[in-house]
Amino acid sequence: MSNYSHPEVLVDLAWAKANVGKQKIKFVEVDVDTASYESGHIPGALAFNWRTQLQNQVSRDIISREDFEKLAGGAGIANDDTVVLYGDNNNWFAAYGFWLFKLYGHQKVHLLNGGRVKWLNEPDAPLTKDVPQVTPVKYAVSRVDDKLRALLPEVMHASAQKDRTLVDVRSVDEFTGKIIAPPNLPETAQRAGHIPGAKSIPWSTAVSQDGTFKSADELNKIYMGEKGVDPKKPAIAYCRIGERSSHTWFVLKYLLGIDDVKNYDGSWTEYGNLIGVPIENPSGGSSGTK
Amino acid sequence: MNQANRVYDDVFELLPSENNPTPLVRIRKLNPSPEFKLYAKLEWYNPFGSVKDRAAWAMIRRLEAEGKAGHGRNIVEPTSGNTGLSLASMASVRGYKLRAVVPGRIPKEKKVLLKIAGADLEVLNDDVCPAPGLGDGSINRAKSHAKASPDEFTMPNQYENEENVRAHMETTGPEIWRQTEGKITHFFAALGTCGTITGAGRFLKSKNPDVKIIAVMPSEGHDVPGLRNISQLHATKLFDSSVVDELLEIDYKLAYSRALDLSRQEGLLAGPSSGLIFEGAREVVSRTTNGLGVMMFCDNIFKYLSTMTRHHPELDVEGFGFFPTV
Repeated sequence: MSNYSHPEVLVDLAWAKANVGKQKIKFVEVDVDTASYESGHIPGALAFNWRTQLQNQVSRDIISREDFEKLAGGAGIANDDTVVLYGDNNNWFAAYGFWLFKLYGHQKVHLLNGGRVKWLNEPDAPLTKDVPQVTPVKYAVSRVDDKLRALLPEVMHASAQKDRTLVDVRSVDEFTGKIIAPPNLPETAQRAGHIPGAKSIPWSTAVSQDGTFKSADELNKIYMGEKGVDPKKPAIAYCRIGERSSHTWFVLKYLLGIDDVKNYDGSWTEYGNLIGVPIENPSGGSSGTK
Repeated sequence: MNQANRVYDDVFELLPSENNPTPLVRIRKLNPSPEFKLYAKLEWYNPFGSVKDRAAWAMIRRLEAEGKAGHGRNIVEPTSGNTGLSLASMASVRGYKLRAVVPGRIPKEKKVLLKIAGADLEVLNDDVCPAPGLGDGSINRAKSHAKASPDEFTMPNQYENEENVRAHMETTGPEIWRQTEGKITHFFAALGTCGTITGAGRFLKSKNPDVKIIAVMPSEGHDVPGLRNISQLHATKLFDSSVVDELLEIDYKLAYSRALDLSRQEGLLAGPSSGLIFEGAREVVSRTTNGLGVMMFCDNIFKYLSTMTRHHPELDVEGFGFFPTV
């Protein structure tokens, strides 16, 4: 992991095995399928439910600063604790959780490289169904790092002025407008296509078969070489609902070292529903709900 | 047991063996080269309806012998198809349960069938974003149960269990050798877990190294349940490329149209994987003048009404095809 720009944000399996159960180190599982945790998890790990705990339950938004304080404190996480996030689907929502922890200024937060699947397939890494007892603590957000989040006006500006690289991490069929969303998914948009000027780099480009991130050299070759991402230029990543883009946000910012990268969590379910915004739709298909 | 009169003491005695093989039926109208004798091995004559009875029985017997199944311990397997039906039925008869872990998007009829066979169904929530080929999915959920609750569950794991290969070395291979009186020249099977092609292939090669073992696989992006394109083979540890003489890739849509042809012209109500294998065999037979080929027809069509109606909308009645399909 040493060739990454900020290798300290990742921990590997060996580190995780050596540090499970230590005080001040809190493992937190965030899954796409929230039932994964119940079937077995890293001993001592807690779970956050991305649907009900990481999002505002009334308006479409991330949880507020106050709610984040309640969530972290309620989970027994102190401001100076080391938080290790991991999850299913190659850490999609773990990366989303990581982004939230960074956004709310938590200092020591890491992703377990390879996520849940890596741990599960390690023969001597234990799994349990026991849910740990938690003693709530007081957690106070000292600063909010707004620079990590892109809201619609910045995205519109980036598209028009081309002052930021827009990275669309959805599948190629979603990018080209052939489909609006993958089949059978509830959250969708009224229009297909992508934000004008965006580069198509599906999130899965960044991971190896075993779920860990590709090496710095491989990532450089793909993102900078093949896809022409300018390492000096600020970037914004987006997807459909904002979780796959957190994964690519993590890659661009910490593994490839682009200093200014934002996650556009509104993503296509926001942009593709707007009235009158420019859209590129090379396939010309799927206007209206499919 | 009196096999001659087909009287059996229990359902497991129906399981195939050299002395009680599944039938071989010769292809007549659809054979492009009549000099080449082409036979279908009808695996739906297995007691629980498919070729998977062979691997399932071998895996179950091994787990029971090792004390890992029964006596309060159940089995867990990621399966939405034939292996699930075989394992669920066998486990039910033996006094324990199969927990079948399945993706949410599989057709409803498959879920119902598993429940009929006695399985506990665990349906994964896959309505967020798909992770094709990656992701944790049902295999990892099943592994999770086996690892976190070892006193409750054992996972047979058909993709890694050598019993799957052994079953075909000890039953499928010897059956075919005896049924063809050692005259088989070509063996056709599809790629899935690869237990069949590896096990039967090894046996037949041991008898006659000149027997051609031909693997048939669907083209990429296919929807033929239970089969894998070579690009998906990382999921199995049982593929032995050294026994395979030829690997044929067939347009997966032909799996469905050939299955229809087989039903309507040969009277063989074969499922889509059989249709695919048949198309592969046709290709080989068309360019081979003499020989004797055996095709593994894994199961019949009855479980595939949704996928069939999707590929052949003219078959649909009253919107049956509205079931989502994998």
